[in-house]
Amino acid sequence: MIRVDKICKSFGGQTVLRNLSFEVPDGRITALLGANGAGKTSCLRIVCGLLQADSGQVLVGDADPASNPMAVRRQLGVVGDREGLYERLTVREYLSVFAQMQGLSGAVLQEALDAVRNELELDGLWNRRTKGFSQGERMKVSLARALVHRPRHLILDEPTRGLDVLAVRLLRKTLLRLRAAGTTILFSSHVMPEVAELSDRVLVMASGQIVGAGTPEQLAAETGCSCLEDSFVALAYGPRPTMARVEGEPA
Amino acid sequence: MNPGAFIHGWKQMAPLLRKELLEAWRDRRALVMAVCFSLMFPVMLAGGTTFMVKKQSEEVTRVALLGAERAPLISERLASPNLAVTRLERGEPRELLAGEYDIVLAFSEDFSRRYQDFRAPQVYLYVNSSESTSGRARRDVQERLGALQQLVVTQRLTARGVAPRTLSPWRVETRDVSTPSSRGALILATVPGLLIMTLFIACLSTAVDSSAGERERLSLEPLLLQPLAGWQIITAKTIAVASLGWLGSLLAIAALVALMPVMPLTELGIQRATTVGSVIAMGVIMLPLALLVAVLQILLALRSHSFKDAQTQLSIFQIAPLVMLMMLDIAQVKLAESWQLLPLVGHQQWLKGLLIGDGVSPVWMLSGSLVTLLLVAVAIMMGARALRRENLLSAS
Repeated sequence: MIRVDKICKSFGGQTVLRNLSFEVPDGRITALLGANGAGKTSCLRIVCGLLQADSGQVLVGDADPASNPMAVRRQLGVVGDREGLYERLTVREYLSVFAQMQGLSGAVLQEALDAVRNELELDGLWNRRTKGFSQGERMKVSLARALVHRPRHLILDEPTRGLDVLAVRLLRKTLLRLRAAGTTILFSSHVMPEVAELSDRVLVMASGQIVGAGTPEQLAAETGCSCLEDSFVALAYGPRPTMARVEGEPA
Repeated sequence: MNPGAFIHGWKQMAPLLRKELLEAWRDRRALVMAVCFSLMFPVMLAGGTTFMVKKQSEEVTRVALLGAERAPLISERLASPNLAVTRLERGEPRELLAGEYDIVLAFSEDFSRRYQDFRAPQVYLYVNSSESTSGRARRDVQERLGALQQLVVTQRLTARGVAPRTLSPWRVETRDVSTPSSRGALILATVPGLLIMTLFIACLSTAVDSSAGERERLSLEPLLLQPLAGWQIITAKTIAVASLGWLGSLLAIAALVALMPVMPLTELGIQRATTVGSVIAMGVIMLPLALLVAVLQILLALRSHSFKDAQTQLSIFQIAPLVMLMMLDIAQVKLAESWQLLPLVGHQQWLKGLLIGDGVSPVWMLSGSLVTLLLVAVAIMMGARALRRENLLSAS
């Protein structure tokens, strides 16, 4: 379980998060939905312990990232937004280094590497240096890095950005398998169909606050809208007159 | 921190250290830069000294004598190993100087008559002061003419029963008391500065790449999310950067020692005093300095705004201490022994002493190295704090 309780955060006098509170239950996929600048990335960075909240408290499992960041980092796997790889290392070396930093060694390390290699179909990339990898290949390697130590909690910041269909399908398959294995997953996204299909619970964020929470169906019922996108717009930007649908546009 | 936790911390850091070393040593650009500069300066020094000696040994002042028949004594006795005298019947001094002569000596028309009448005839020295050789040529000819003049004065006084000492109340004789080692010190004074500069240059590229570069490539954030303390991250990066810097300085020392047999040190009055022990000592004392330079470069690069900004800042950073060392050297300031505790100043003095075979106190070397390592530890702690800065992240 990840619990965020009344956190506030400002940068240079500009408030980004205002009394933000939410919970991410174990073994579920929770989506954090918000427009650009809503504070999603700042919120995720506070959960990871990269940023300090001005006030409030965060718990990842039973560890507070502000007071015990090491304990949090041992149970977290994080795939950041547009993160870089080490271009002079092969995929095997890259994953091995991160697995060892998480404390894996010997046979356990080898098993963990074999597992992510198979699960994320990394055979073709395994002994290649990461320089020149496509966006999809980079995402696969980043995801493998986040998963190699089998974290209890997985955080993904806009994981589908710039990915092709096959990469998105692989990501989706992986997340569903991890949920089945009991991993707590929190991801931020803009892509409504992705969120609707994957998430058990959606948190809608606007101006540094949660303005709506529930399953996609619950949000639709709450806002009286027929789809998640309309629900999101209604919650994040306030009720608006329904726009006339363009002929051929899916409902 | 207790020793057990410290050892555990180092073990935990090992995979990160491996990553940093792999990245540093696989960076072809950084490696080429480190190796090239390390080998370039000893080769240039060897070439420079050889050229200097060759030039000195081949340097002969070419003198054109106009009206030599009017002063046969001078014409005969002026020639010396470093003065090649050519008698010319006629010629224009300006044209002769523009040609193959360094200096033109012309005797006045009435030189002979006035000489015999003891009326101090005129001798004209023509030089082109815009030529770099003019100063040496004038000095050589004037010295020679002065010696001949003294000889004539002595003969004239003796012929008249006057003791020559009457016109020479004292005699000045110069005695050079410099030892080969101390003369070598002047010539090799630049070497410690160049060795230290090699260290700075060999570290630079890797320091920027592993800090500002990682930040710009967005690969620093995943690293900060690992269960590692800030000091472990900075220490691993420092060791990787220092390894290249140290390699550079070791290569430079090795190349310098290897080239010494082909350098004309004897001709320059330098006694070869570098022993295997002093070479090893030079390598060892460069290690703490390599660590200090590496961690300071990383600190500076971390606080810069971009990769380019880091490169600019570090370029300035490497010039400042070297200028200070050069000024100390040029000013020939005699420093108290305790100055050896100061990094760079101490290293310069030890390297110079080890190169020319002067005694270097092991106690001061050890104390100075410990002070350097202490500063490394302080800088690592500062780096660990810097990693907690929020503006280090790509888009807060």
